[in-house]
Amino acid sequence: MGELDLKNLRIDYGARMIIRDFNLAVRNGEMMSLLGPSGAGKTTILKAIAGLLAPAAGDILIDGQSVRDVPPEKRDAVMVFQKPLLFPFMNVAQNIGFGLRMQGQPGREARRHIGAILALTQLEGLEHRKVHELSGGQQQRVALARALVLKPSVLLLDEPLSNLDANLRQRMRELIQTIQSETRMTMLFVTHDQSEALMISHRVALLLEGRLRQVGAPRELFYQPADPEVARFFGGRNFFQGHVRDGKLHSDLGVFPVGPQNGNGHVRTATIRPEDIRIAPRATGQSRGLRGRVVKTRFEGSSTRVVVACGANEVMVLTPEDAFRPGQEVEITVPPEKIRLFPGD
Amino acid sequence: MTSPLTTGADARTRKGPGGVALSLALLPALAVVLILFGGGFALGIVQALGYLPGAGLGEWSLAHFARVLSDPDFLHSFLLTLYIAGASTVIAAGISIPAALGLASLSKRSRVIHFIFQMPLTVPHLVIAIAVMFMLAPAGLLSRAATGAGWIASPADFPLLINDAWGIGIILTYVWKEIPFITLMLLAVLRHTGRDLLDVGRTLKADAWQRFRYITLPIIFPALGAASLIVFAYTFGAFEVPFLLGQTYPMTLPVWAYKHYSDIDLMARPEGIATGIVIALVVMAAVILAQVLTKAARKRGLIA
Repeated sequence: MGELDLKNLRIDYGARMIIRDFNLAVRNGEMMSLLGPSGAGKTTILKAIAGLLAPAAGDILIDGQSVRDVPPEKRDAVMVFQKPLLFPFMNVAQNIGFGLRMQGQPGREARRHIGAILALTQLEGLEHRKVHELSGGQQQRVALARALVLKPSVLLLDEPLSNLDANLRQRMRELIQTIQSETRMTMLFVTHDQSEALMISHRVALLLEGRLRQVGAPRELFYQPADPEVARFFGGRNFFQGHVRDGKLHSDLGVFPVGPQNGNGHVRTATIRPEDIRIAPRATGQSRGLRGRVVKTRFEGSSTRVVVACGANEVMVLTPEDAFRPGQEVEITVPPEKIRLFPGD
Repeated sequence: MTSPLTTGADARTRKGPGGVALSLALLPALAVVLILFGGGFALGIVQALGYLPGAGLGEWSLAHFARVLSDPDFLHSFLLTLYIAGASTVIAAGISIPAALGLASLSKRSRVIHFIFQMPLTVPHLVIAIAVMFMLAPAGLLSRAATGAGWIASPADFPLLINDAWGIGIILTYVWKEIPFITLMLLAVLRHTGRDLLDVGRTLKADAWQRFRYITLPIIFPALGAASLIVFAYTFGAFEVPFLLGQTYPMTLPVWAYKHYSDIDLMARPEGIATGIVIALVVMAAVILAQVLTKAARKRGLIA
């Protein structure tokens, strides 16, 4: 089992409230990402679950049992920190076996577990290495192995990949995914990297300014953000307002069919992702697209970000073509089915 | 499974500044140390080997060393010095461990306590020795207070705590003076890595005793060893405190060396210097050992 329930959690630092009204349920065997910008309170929540911080209010349940008054060493949750934090006076095998030793596990059995974890984390052959002889990636894998070997109900991962370079990060991410699918261990993975969260998790919980804003499958958060802030966090641009009348959104950018269920008679904030907008050089004949002029471009490798002035509005477009230059007259097409309308103003 | 990850071959290596450039930058400071210490040490060896033309001695010989080392008084003094330095170091280190742990667990608001701890570092040994003398002497403050309180009949009943056979006054002076030094050395290590590693230990199921035994002690051991060796080296070679608070016989080695050196008989001077050389060798051995421990701690990443 490995169910984690956070109920009405409030965490303060002195007089400052860091986390408020935080509710989250992580299912058994689930890999959930706790996503948010730096300073949102993600690590604080993880530390509270691990028992390293006491919440001011609310409850933490592991497998249905409240652990609020249980000290960290008695909780069935192990944390992997942002830095590997290996014990410098121990070798790799001793680091991995530390928790087993603290639990008084006999040597032979402990060695068997350590051997299995070394294989799982691709650390075979390094067991007698000293910690300072390891690379950054190897150190982080030892930290991961040291936690995994205890087979906790809940594994808490606090941005364990943030200190690694891009290639190593990708491979470590794949390793964590593989381990999670093989062990079916419940994992709560903290990250500020939205693409990492979308790639690695079954579900994503987005934390903004100390409050949980949306929980759902990666595609749900990406394509159906709950509010403009969530959309912005996932790279959403092109926010505009319009009036919904007769199933159509009347805005400065044009009139778009959005369906009658979207609140006839109300002003709505709408957004469309830059990669959903099509862009083409302005044709000489008749066109049904919006006309505009390229203001600036930014080459990003596999795609180019193009800012187009359409009347008083600026629209950002992400296109795989690197064919547009500032000052160029273009036409953009906004597919109505890709427009996302938010309730309220 | 995914493609194999990196192996040990990509382990990081760290390069320090160039040795030649560093040596050149340190040359002025090194020159002063080498001339003052090295020169004095060399001159001492020359005189200890019997070359002292001013006293009418001109023959090179190990006889003075032999005489010193075979003198039963030297052995008494050596053992007394070893005992005082050892006891002072062990007591100061023993008190410093819980003190450092306590300070490390305090929040930043405890700056006053830190300041109080740092104060003894700035007070010279001589001042503390005199203060101890005023406090602990048979006619000192404590004996008068005890008499005034009716605990003892007269100051003469007060136990002998200075100029005593056990060197209690000397040890108390050193302990009071060296606790902050060792504590602050340990505190630096605990602040650098200690807290995070203790948090790791907690989540890895280590209880309070296990965290102390398997995390804290190994973390502080190199710094504790290095600081203790420095304290030992200092107390072994220090003169003024045992001179003021020690008994007349046996006396500590530095006092013994001084007595010989300042003896009216110039022929005793080489023996005094030979004793000084023995002290210097013990001190140097302790300092080198302290350096080895510090280097080991740095290699482990326990200190910056």
